[in-house]
Amino acid sequence: MRVQRRWINRLLLSSPLAMGGALGASAQDDAALAYYREAKINWKQADGQSLTIGLNKHPFTESLLPLIPEFRRLTGINVEYLILPEAEYFTKLVADLSQQRGEFSVIMTGPMRNWQYVPPDWILPLDGFLNNAKLTDQSWFKLDDFYPALIKANRWDGKTGGGVGEGPLYSIPVLAESYILAYRKDIFDQYNIKVPTTLEEMAEAAALVKKNAGIPGIVARGTPSVASMGTGFLSGLKSYTDGQWSEFDGKLNANFHDPRSVKYTELWINMVRDSGPPNWANMQWYDAMEAFTAGQAGMIADADFFAANYEDPKKSKVAGKVGYALIPPGPGGKTYSGLWTWALGISKATKNKEAAWLFVQWATAQRTLLNATLGYRNYNPSRMSITNDPKVQEIMGSWGNGSYLKVLAKNLETARVAWTPQPERTRLGDIWARALHEIYFKRLSAADALKKASVEVDKVLKEAGIK
Amino acid sequence: MNTAQKRRHWRQEKFLPYLLLAPALILLAGMIYPFALGSYYSFTSYWLQYPNRFRFVWLDNYINLVTEPLFLSSLEFTLAFTLAAVVIQVGLGLAIALFLHGRIPGRGAIRALMLLPLMMPPVITALMWKIMMASTNAGILNHMLSFVGVDPINWFGSTGGAVASILIIDTWGNLPFVALILLGGLQALPNEPYEAARVDGAGALAVLRYVTLPLLSPFIVLVVLFRTMDSLRIFDVIYATTLGGPNDATTNLHIMAYQYSFQWFQMGKGMAQAIVLLLLVVICSYLLMRLWNRASESTQ
Repeated sequence: MRVQRRWINRLLLSSPLAMGGALGASAQDDAALAYYREAKINWKQADGQSLTIGLNKHPFTESLLPLIPEFRRLTGINVEYLILPEAEYFTKLVADLSQQRGEFSVIMTGPMRNWQYVPPDWILPLDGFLNNAKLTDQSWFKLDDFYPALIKANRWDGKTGGGVGEGPLYSIPVLAESYILAYRKDIFDQYNIKVPTTLEEMAEAAALVKKNAGIPGIVARGTPSVASMGTGFLSGLKSYTDGQWSEFDGKLNANFHDPRSVKYTELWINMVRDSGPPNWANMQWYDAMEAFTAGQAGMIADADFFAANYEDPKKSKVAGKVGYALIPPGPGGKTYSGLWTWALGISKATKNKEAAWLFVQWATAQRTLLNATLGYRNYNPSRMSITNDPKVQEIMGSWGNGSYLKVLAKNLETARVAWTPQPERTRLGDIWARALHEIYFKRLSAADALKKASVEVDKVLKEAGIK
Repeated sequence: MNTAQKRRHWRQEKFLPYLLLAPALILLAGMIYPFALGSYYSFTSYWLQYPNRFRFVWLDNYINLVTEPLFLSSLEFTLAFTLAAVVIQVGLGLAIALFLHGRIPGRGAIRALMLLPLMMPPVITALMWKIMMASTNAGILNHMLSFVGVDPINWFGSTGGAVASILIIDTWGNLPFVALILLGGLQALPNEPYEAARVDGAGALAVLRYVTLPLLSPFIVLVVLFRTMDSLRIFDVIYATTLGGPNDATTNLHIMAYQYSFQWFQMGKGMAQAIVLLLLVVICSYLLMRLWNRASESTQ
């Protein structure tokens, strides 16, 4: 478990030697901080207060760390942080939030996670801070620079079963993730394989790649966990049913055994079993991404920004050989990709709420996020101005010979949070993923395994008092 | 004795024992508190994200376990894995110990090298093996097996492969421990029974069967005890490689309790599962301790 704390730095900064150094660097400081000082707020209003930030190991986190001394000089707020890998991070976070200890002031969260934290009243709505002129210079911060779909994703009215995009804003997005199909253009061209526009064609293409090129035709996440469900698989299912299917019927009864879902799942699992890698059932996101990057797969339907990895000639064997397309749509002709944003929120138990908001505002400001994208490959930008920045355009514009940005723009027209709001999403996803294993290993038919998953989810929701 | 002396004496008499006991008492309290809290939670419906639903539910969590298919399958895996791991590791460990007990060249170097796996944290061991056990020929293990004509083995991607993989990794990490204890035992055995056996004209196998094994039995029971306790509650290797999958084939009680407690935050249920695991460990240890007592008495 990786744990880092900045207390050593704090000690150093408070020593006389460091003070001298800091004074010497003040001219440099002015240049670095000038952008933030354009905001018409008093950044020093919480001078001397302390914050602890809970962070998931992520490129965005990496980008923040070197800038934290800058934030301290701007605001006089002391910042400590704790960085953990994703699974451990969320466990630690729930432990802290549920005890209302306020160990973390600012947290890294996102839409689906907020559904777990809002009902017990663990995190704060941010609208109050945004609308307070003393705390936020709206014309400088520019909330409308964020992609509207991402801001909507982080709004929720707190009602189980719906209400995404309505109600208070609980977190400010630091990146955007939607799901697309990446394929080996060189192999597809060489063997005359058609870029799939239906799930059936996708399965055919996967089989053809395997037969001709001798590598798995498709690679996908497969571990028995919610993390395997929400990207390519769920986006494909949403699209296959023209955005109609959802994991619950109108009365919050689990709906995995819906005939459309059964048919789709059969097709998907057959494709993965017949043309996928032998260890699909043990693949996490990075295994799948690395397999494609290493040239060991014909297609992958997963996070769009994995392209940064595929297109990096230093790491990738497939740089410049990848084409991008929408995940195959259903009969209606439209793709409905899921959407996720890592985002910053504020714990309700924190004592220094204003200081926490100043941190969130600073960390999601245009300059901070641009630095994260350019210096630390924090893709995709959550602010439109960053996507449109000439330097960013130069990088992202080259991916897939320009096809990446076009596919991304098209995808974001219809992308939305694919899950139904309720606090037991993780559990539901874990149960669902286990059903996929039962089908893959032929222990149960798709219809039976998915029916079983529905029954189990209904039982959990009842036990949790959600329905 | 004057008053000052008396007072000092009284103070020493009265407080010294407590003072000396204090570190142990503090340690004990530090162990008992979390254990008592965990046991208490196992009788409640404690669920982190629903603080309002906290209730004392008596034995419900335990009774419900019986109807939970995952519990039954993970109990089965826990016991089967422990049996397999102990038999394989103690069997191989005994063979290695007997081999090293003989006069072979480079014995010291081999013994030192054997310690290496013991120094590795199990998670690192597991991750290292996970890389070596890649399912295609790109994995070094499959690559090497291809030289002897073995087709690529689907180590972590199939249910049987995953179980075998966990067994192999656990064995690699713990075999040296077993071998070293047994080797230590062999070296401590008295010479006389061997001489007597030789005089009686016993062959090597008979010596092993009627002299070595009975004399070594306290050591064997000791390693069986340690390996049983560890195998029953193995967690790190499974968590780092399969997360309990595929198709729950490697989910043992410990992994299941972790999932309930820290993935789904149902502390009440998770703690009940952990307590069942604890009872299992305690019962097995108790039985083995009795066996150990008997074995060490009979060899004295």
